[in-house]
Formats: sequence, C-alpha cells, structure tokens
Amino acid sequence: MTLPKGFGSGGAGGSSSADVERMIGRRVENMTGMITISYWAAVLATFGGTAAGYFYYPWAYPTPSGHYAFIVLVIIEAIGYIFCVKVMQEGSNKNSNGVVAGSIAGSAAFTLFVSIFVGW
Amino acid sequence: MAQMPALIPKEVEIQRLKKIWLIVIAMGSTAASVEVDNFVDGSLHQTSIRDSAFTPAHWWLYSHFVALPLGWGSVAIYDRKVPVLRGPNNSMNTGLKMTILGYLATMFTIGVNEMWHFWFVEEIFAVPNHWMFNMGVVVAFMGALAYVVRVYARLVELGAETPGENPYVAEMYKMALEGKLYSRSIP
Repeated sequence: MTLPKGFGSGGAGGSSSADVERMIGRRVENMTGMITISYWAAVLATFGGTAAGYFYYPWAYPTPSGHYAFIVLVIIEAIGYIFCVKVMQEGSNKNSNGVVAGSIAGSAAFTLFVSIFVGW
Repeated sequence: MAQMPALIPKEVEIQRLKKIWLIVIAMGSTAASVEVDNFVDGSLHQTSIRDSAFTPAHWWLYSHFVALPLGWGSVAIYDRKVPVLRGPNNSMNTGLKMTILGYLATMFTIGVNEMWHFWFVEEIFAVPNHWMFNMGVVVAFMGALAYVVRVYARLVELGAETPGENPYVAEMYKMALEGKLYSRSIP
C-alpha cells in the first residue's frame, strides 16, 4: 500500500506497524482522560450558565427552572460522555468503566447538591 | 457497491473515523442541549419581555450557533484524512457541506435577528428573522444525518461496528453500504 510522504520505506516495500502507529497518533481508546475532563468542563459550564440565570435574572429564571434545566442538561451530557468512552473503547482491550462510573456518580452527587442547596 | 478501495491502512481509517465520531457526539449533545434552551428562551420572552440581548437564554442559543459551525468546520478539516468521505470531484462531502452551510446561515442570522429586534421589540415567535434560524437548522440536520450515516456505514463496512439486528435497520445499513441511501452521484 502506498503511504503518504514521510511514511514507509521509501518505495522499497509495504508499511510497517510502526508506520501505522505513527499515522494514527494518539489512539481513541486512550482518550478517556481528555473526554472525562471535557465532560466535567461541560457540567461546570452548565452550572455557571443556569446559576447566572437564577442569580442575575431571578424574575425571568426562578431557581426551580434553573435546576430543572441543569438536571436535564447534565443527563444529556452524561449520555454523550458514556457514548464517547464506550464507542472509543469498543473492540479494544481497554476498559474505563470505573472512571466513567465514578465520574457519573460524582456529577450526580454534584447535581443533587446544587439542586438542594444552591440558589434558594 | 463494491468495497471502497483502501487508500489508507484499515486500522488508521477506523481510528480516524472514530475521532470524527467523537466530535460528532459532542456536537450532538450540544444540539440536544439547545432543545432545553428553546424552552428557557420561551420562558424568558413570556416573562421579562426582551430587557436585553445579553440574557443566559441568548448566550446559550447564540454561542451554540457559533460553536456548531466551528465544530463542523473542524470535522471538515480532519475529514480530509479519510479518502472514503470525499465528495464529488474530491471536494468536501456533500452532507458535511450542507451541515456547515446550514449552521453558517444560523450564525449570520444572529446578527440579522439582533438588528431586527433593535427596531421591533416584540415577542412573536413567527417573525421572518426567526425563519432563517429554523431553515438553517433543518438544512444542517439533513446534511448531518447523511454524513453520520456515511461514517457509520463505513465503520460497519470495516468491521468496527456491528449492524443492527432489526431487519429494517439492517436493510438501511445495507442500502447505505450500496450507496443507495441517498444519491450515488452525490457521495
């Protein structure tokens, strides 16, 4: 197979597994850390957005509405997070179920804490 | 359709398709979250009556109309590394083109919308400046569906995904693989 410039053995033969690894770069099954950080960034940004609603515009966004939006959004984000990690690791021997479960449990606890104690 | 010729090693292609998949899932979650904002924005306009353009409902709505064209643009940049996703005459994939054009339309509609509401301070949903938001999103969704099905069908073809067991769904994958789910002349 012809490989892009800079890969392979300069026309002397096929591609080696080292070439394939270089073309791949960071493999998707090793991206759990980055995906988890992105998930938490999304949850915190969502909290910031809904909190801006009930702290700065309480006449337009009563606290229960803000919390309702926050809960629904965290669920949507959690579904995306689970999809990302599971799809990236399927077919590989990597398994980050513990990290995902811990992260989801942590965000569930955070969501409950916010819904019960913040903004009232 | 015969199996597409492998222009890059299979393992590389699977990894690249999955990286595209990652961005698409993130943007799908963003688009889904804005469904919530439709209600938040509606509640704003029925209570506080357009006191300012800079409200949380608008930050959310407008920032997603900027984030999604940029996100799909980044897919378009990365997409060039997957030969099977090329469009006619080695151009950008048609579904991707539609998605970016649709979301670009919504992005520019932010300006149109604010200009309209500068002069007309009303709370009517069906005003013409909002039509462009809706039409842009519909065009973008149609393109995104075509593109996502193509990516998924290729992952099935490469053996990285298992097609659905439901016979109707399986038939859909089969048609996608044969290039019959949408026009073969517009890949």
